[in-house]
Amino acid sequence: MFLQILISGFVLGCVYGLIALGYSLIYKSSGLMNFVQGDVLTLGAFLGYTFFSLLKLPYLVSLILTVLVAFLFGMAMEHFVIGKLLKKNVLAIYVVLATIAVQYILQNSIQGIWSTKMLSYPQIFSVSSIKIAGVSIQTESVFCIFMSFLCMAGLQIFMKHTRFGTAMRASAMDAKAAQACGINTSLSTGISWGIAAGMAALAGILLGPIYGVFIMLGSTIGRKGFAGAIMGGYGNLIGAIVGGILLGVTETFVAGYLSSTYKDMIAYALLLLFLFVKPTGIFNERAISE
Amino acid sequence: MLLEIDNLCLSFGGLKATNDVTMHMEGGKINGIIGPNGAGKTTFFNQISGVYKPDSGTIKFDGKRIDGLKPYQINEAGIARTYQVINLFKKMTVMENVMVGMHPRLKSGFFASTLHTKKQREEEKTIREKAMDLLRFVGLEDYANEQAGSLSYGQQRLLEIVRGLASDPKLILLDEPAAGMNSTEKVELNYLLHRILDRGVTILIVEHDMKLMMGVCDRIFVLNYGKKLAEGTPEEVQKNPEVIAAYLGGDET
Repeated sequence: MFLQILISGFVLGCVYGLIALGYSLIYKSSGLMNFVQGDVLTLGAFLGYTFFSLLKLPYLVSLILTVLVAFLFGMAMEHFVIGKLLKKNVLAIYVVLATIAVQYILQNSIQGIWSTKMLSYPQIFSVSSIKIAGVSIQTESVFCIFMSFLCMAGLQIFMKHTRFGTAMRASAMDAKAAQACGINTSLSTGISWGIAAGMAALAGILLGPIYGVFIMLGSTIGRKGFAGAIMGGYGNLIGAIVGGILLGVTETFVAGYLSSTYKDMIAYALLLLFLFVKPTGIFNERAISE
Repeated sequence: MLLEIDNLCLSFGGLKATNDVTMHMEGGKINGIIGPNGAGKTTFFNQISGVYKPDSGTIKFDGKRIDGLKPYQINEAGIARTYQVINLFKKMTVMENVMVGMHPRLKSGFFASTLHTKKQREEEKTIREKAMDLLRFVGLEDYANEQAGSLSYGQQRLLEIVRGLASDPKLILLDEPAAGMNSTEKVELNYLLHRILDRGVTILIVEHDMKLMMGVCDRIFVLNYGKKLAEGTPEEVQKNPEVIAAYLGGDET
């Protein structure tokens, strides 16, 4: 029981973590919030379903294609909506509102293209469950956790140890100075939005086989991911992962041992507690060197 | 001529911030721009470095038109710059700041740098060595692993200059590098400017400190109300009655 709850807590937490990473990445690169994150997760789940179940592509190919499409969506959104608004010197709050507008447009489009019915992925792995310490765990759950960690580690390495990641960090820290160093800052910003969307879609295609695919799949998760990002320390990449996992695990344990009626209440109460007691989150931006 | 600026104009609303300015600068020299506050010096700089796009006129660098290009493209063309207000990546280390400065000169593509190929690792090693050499050049080698934000004001200025040099520019634009420096640091700056010139980097400097400018510059251009008032050697400029009038008679020194 305990191990199973812990695993499903980690599945949910990893998904929150991926979403939270996107929020933090966008906050760092543009100083904005992008509320489309949750619905990009839904998009990812539907795209993955289409590639894998309808077009019969291998799961890994479907996964890569899904992430790629979402990456392009994120870049396009930054280029055609956010960048254009920022060039007009629109206040940040209105740009955030624009992301909410895009969120509903996307949600409605998904509904139009696919359906309002719940879809389910066919079985992905030949082995449907793995035994860990005598407890059988759904293979998809293990895969979800594995891929999330791989992606999070990959992002860390990309940001810290590659030239493009360094350029992106530089643009985020000081755009003017980065430009003077020969960095195309608008490209860096676009890539940040692309990566954020790509990670959300990855969460979608990982979660779809476990939760089923439906139109509102991402909306709650999007909000929880946002809460996770705040708890971890908004804008901090490690914090986003830790905050997301903390939220997911707490929520699942509340549902498992107390009652699932209170899981959202407790999750958001935890967020409020953080806002009052430690608004900078677990990883204080100022205290932790980049 | 390394930098040829002809009939440059830029207005903000009704204000002519740059009004038909023509300046030709030779390579291998220290060129200076002076002028009272609000003369349009920084605006002029911002057009060379691509931050602002001129309304009309041309900027040719090394024979090629660069006006209207984006800042990063101008950096790639071989012009580095520093800012009046220090713009460092404060949360990165001193070394990382210099490495970011080398960005446009690095060769490894996206995949090579993500996959950490052998070629890329070798390049990274070369980069680190080169960055260290540059830090030694301004005496910051002992601070390589410190956070840039923890350096003293004067050291941050030096780091910004050396980060500019990291892209191997042919020309470096320095916007008030002596601001906030004490007199000892100013003497060192004077010496540093000549050493930068010895590396084959031409300098264009904007500075308020007249003593420094008259002592260090080979050629001085004077701006006033967005117009070029005079140009010449420091001696010529100092004797120019119009320049004297602008500085003494002006109400906004």
